Amino acid sequence: MILAISGKGGVGKTTIAAVAARALARDGSRRSLIVDADPAGGLAMALGMKPGRTLNDVRKELIHEVKEGARDERDLAVSIDYLLAEALTERGNLALLSIGRPEDAGCYCKVNVILKDAIKGLAARFDETVVDAEAGIEQVNRKVLGSVDYVLLVADTSMKAVRTAETISAVGATMAPGAGFGLLVNRVTDEGQVEQVRAATDLEVVGWVPEDPTVRRFDEEELSFLDLPDCPASDAIDAVLASIL
Amino acid sequence: MKALIEEWSGEGRLRTLEPGASPWPRGYSLVLQEDTGLELGNPSGASLSILAWGEPSEVCDGRVSLVGPDVAEAGGGSIPFGQVVLVGGEFDNEYDSFRDIRDAVYDTHLDGFSVRTLPSRQTVWCRVSTEAREGGFSLADLGAALIEELKTVEPVSCAEVLFVTSERDDVERLAEPARGAQRVIEAMMKMYQEANFDCETCEYKEVCDSVMDLKKIRDRLAGTIPPSPLREGRGGGE
Ligand SMILES: Nc1ncnc2c1ncn2[C@@H]1O[C@H](COP(=O)(O)OP(=O)(O)OP(=O)(O)O)[C@@H](O)[C@H]1O
Ligand SMILES: [Mg+2]
Repeated sequence: MILAISGKGGVGKTTIAAVAARALARDGSRRSLIVDADPAGGLAMALGMKPGRTLNDVRKELIHEVKEGARDERDLAVSIDYLLAEALTERGNLALLSIGRPEDAGCYCKVNVILKDAIKGLAARFDETVVDAEAGIEQVNRKVLGSVDYVLLVADTSMKAVRTAETISAVGATMAPGAGFGLLVNRVTDEGQVEQVRAATDLEVVGWVPEDPTVRRFDEEELSFLDLPDCPASDAIDAVLASIL
Repeated sequence: MKALIEEWSGEGRLRTLEPGASPWPRGYSLVLQEDTGLELGNPSGASLSILAWGEPSEVCDGRVSLVGPDVAEAGGGSIPFGQVVLVGGEFDNEYDSFRDIRDAVYDTHLDGFSVRTLPSRQTVWCRVSTEAREGGFSLADLGAALIEELKTVEPVSCAEVLFVTSERDDVERLAEPARGAQRVIEAMMKMYQEANFDCETCEYKEVCDSVMDLKKIRDRLAGTIPPSPLREGRGGGE
């Protein structure tokens, strides 16, 4: 199953992806690919995992090989398998892949196409894939979410964040027709806020996460969320994930 | 290559592996670090893969030889890895045959064993799962599977495989023959991928001229293959 976590900037996507990774690490039985699809690369840090090479490094190397002209498609396909494996940072049953910042070196459709197929193929070999998507609808537009099974839309209690979630869901539904969509309301300080969101949107609210000082502390002190103790936020996120994954 | 094999053999370091009782099951496995019983040819260590083809008389059909420890004998962790595949046969169309032979190597996947290849660096990176290692997986199984797959390629009449797992220096001694094999392959690939027959500007001219087969291919190809869309406007194929 491929789960993408999407939503407006700053609403808690990375936090939720990190807690999801923690749940999968604790369970230990399912091999999980964690994709940090935000060029800023916050998820690796939240997990205390040092990203090695990024997908963008892989892309650059492939472009170089295409330019050299001494490789055919099959060679490129095996090369990308190797380079992707090299780019994974592993910890137990988790493997982290960071997208990195794309510096555009022109259009290399051939490379982008095999790269996309290779990531799909890589995800298919894992039991679960969790993607911390870039803020906003940029990646939805770029069809990055094309093969996603479920999009967990995150919003804080602001209407602006809820509207962004709606836009992502509308665009995403056309990109990934088979995917499920659900809204997770984050940083709730009063349950009435959840009711307000429910009343204001047609999106299915699949859960809510309380504002939690333990989460804030782990973020401020740059501690690994894999070591996060059980707290109200993690309990809430675990419950939502259990119903999705 | 031949001299190196003779040297290792003379020192008593090269041995022929006995084939397993039955072929190791095929399967495509992703082996994570935590499930790895033995890693061979990690990118940060020594790793070399050579594919060479030639006269059947130079190939000892079916032989799998090893310099260094086999999977069960290695202490675990990560060890250097060299893989030399030699095939013999009648190759009328060298390019097609080469690609079929290469694909046969790429298509060899065994259960509990992950293998990744980076052609440009000529490296091969493998992981044997703890389960496969405990189940008796041997390089003899890998060699046998490679040979079996290679024999499905029409013009291949014989194949043999040599593995080197002993130490970095031994694997690095394969570098020179590897470079030779690589230059030939790249020159051939480039010819087809780019359709560049302008020998004055081609960096592979020297290789091409020194290898009879490549000259043959070049002459046959010149003018018959349209330039690849990727390279349009560069190189030239008129
Ligand atoms: N449930 C929560 N309780 C307390 N603080 C939270 C909670 N969820 C998120 N935060 C805090 O909110 C801030 C933003 O969270 P996070 O970085 O996860 O958001 P994001 O959506 O990934 O942001 P960006 O769009 O910049 O990537 C962080 O400081 C984080 O610690
Ligand atoms: Mg983030």
